[in-house]
Amino acid sequence: MTAVPLLRRSLAGGWRSLLGWSLGVAAALLLYLPLFPAIGGNADMRELLDTLPPELVRTIGYDQITTGAGYTQSTFFGLMGFLLLTIAAVSWGTAAVAGDEENGALELTLAHGVSRRQVVLERSAAVAARLVWLCLLSGVLILLLNGPAGLELREGNLVAGVAALLGVTLLTAMVAVAVGALTGRRAFALGAAAGVAVLGYALNAVGNQTEDLAWLRDWSPYAWAFREAPLVNGADWGGLGLLYGLSAALLVVALVALDRRDITG
Amino acid sequence: MTAAVETAALTKRFGARPALDGVDLVVEEGAVFGVIGPNGAGKTTLMRLMLDILRPTSGSVRVLGEEPRAGGPALRRRIGFLPGELRLESRITGRELLRHFAEISGPVERGAAEALADRLGLDLGRQVRTLSKGNKQKLGLVQAFLHRPRLLVLDEPTSGLDPLVQQEFLAMLREARQGGQTVFLSSHVLSEIQQAADRVAILRAGRVVVVSDVESLRETAVRRVRVGVAAGSEGGLRAVLEALPNVTGLSFGAEDHRVRAAATVEGAIDPFIKAIARFPVADLTVEEPDLEESVLRLYGERIGDGERAGDGERAGDGERAGDGERAAHPSSPLHGGHRGTGKRGAR
Repeated sequence: MTAVPLLRRSLAGGWRSLLGWSLGVAAALLLYLPLFPAIGGNADMRELLDTLPPELVRTIGYDQITTGAGYTQSTFFGLMGFLLLTIAAVSWGTAAVAGDEENGALELTLAHGVSRRQVVLERSAAVAARLVWLCLLSGVLILLLNGPAGLELREGNLVAGVAALLGVTLLTAMVAVAVGALTGRRAFALGAAAGVAVLGYALNAVGNQTEDLAWLRDWSPYAWAFREAPLVNGADWGGLGLLYGLSAALLVVALVALDRRDITG
Repeated sequence: MTAAVETAALTKRFGARPALDGVDLVVEEGAVFGVIGPNGAGKTTLMRLMLDILRPTSGSVRVLGEEPRAGGPALRRRIGFLPGELRLESRITGRELLRHFAEISGPVERGAAEALADRLGLDLGRQVRTLSKGNKQKLGLVQAFLHRPRLLVLDEPTSGLDPLVQQEFLAMLREARQGGQTVFLSSHVLSEIQQAADRVAILRAGRVVVVSDVESLRETAVRRVRVGVAAGSEGGLRAVLEALPNVTGLSFGAEDHRVRAAATVEGAIDPFIKAIARFPVADLTVEEPDLEESVLRLYGERIGDGERAGDGERAGDGERAGDGERAAHPSSPLHGGHRGTGKRGAR
């Protein structure tokens, strides 16, 4: 017996998908960040932003676009990176249990010498490992572009931003894993995870508009990750604690849930 | 001997619908035990309960002496399972998939996967999702046999296999039994496994209708016979055959200078042979007994009293042998046998 066979199987089986996502993330970074001197630091751009409705500017997070940290946050962490990693998290989290169960493969795996808890643990770990990889890749690329693009990001703050991105996408993935373990249904797992991500984004956007609605952001995982502007201010331990703590709680839910029910498929 | 599988009042409901309803079964260690029943009879549910994929609603099941949930992975390492609906859609090759299963259910002898794949004529180098249904089934069989488990649980193992591979599979079953492995397999047609199984249970609508060993089924076997005698003997032949209690479904036909009779003989063949011996017999065909028909007959006798309305048609078969049966079959005995014959002929 060698260690973590299911984890290794998941990673080996998903390398094509991971390669595709890696290319997507790299492309997003390489397209956006080098343009900072031309867009964020550009006087014309500032004038353009001034003419736009402030609600729109706040919604897409472009109110900070004139600094390197703000630009990186609004283009990548808050938008393209968030979007790409969220989609990846939803699809991997859904496939980990519910997708595998619905296509009949889980039955065969569980007929072998593995426990259901082992399946949940190793598959969750595989999803987490892939998200970590995408986040590391992002971090390294941003670091490489930091000087050339004149972003002037501090390394510690970059780590905090990457940790926040990982936290919010991991939470989304774990929603999919947990709902999959509870129901065994792809559609439910996918819907719940995508719902949490979209709702989190929307609550944050609405909460940004006025002080009266700012409380909405207390319910948004997106806000837990980014409202304290980690690229500027460093780690927001409270927000990170919520993201990783809830992810761990959802893992426990998944472990218990799959162990207690019939495998259908 | 201890029982390899033992169930007591095993019941499984999905919502209000019972898939298994109070099943009591004992499978002795070292036996090849077949479960026969139409789709939806509960065969797959029974097997999933044995593997802890499903949990019983009530009653109990013990596999190799352990309750499946308590036995956990260690118990399942001693079981080889072929699911009834084998869906293999991944991009990995058969070899990689088997290596993975060997890791989680091992230990596996070196070269075991290749040896089994060679036997069944399976290419392990291809992506599993590109395999045909028959080849996926072979891969499913290989992964079940791979780690030489003490118990093989095979759901419809012959489905999708061509006759030659079916023969090889039956040989693998015989070797498994010689090696002391227990085999628990299912089929919706008995004829496919009657050569391999020692005992069979018939499952209908979640209940065990009959458990019997194949030998005693053979004794109560139903055989189709055809006999040709010289012209002019028809009246005498008819009278003699009609007098035999275990001959039913008589029909006569005439050719040039010959009278042909076809009938169904239930149980001992001897009285029939003695009866026709007094006529000038021109030809005689006795088909190999179809155990499935015997079983259905037993089944008809046991619960043919309208206990289950939906099965009335089937249950009636036993009582009205002969014409009723023939009507239900695609071909009549006069035209070259019944179902099962063709399959046997092809092997």
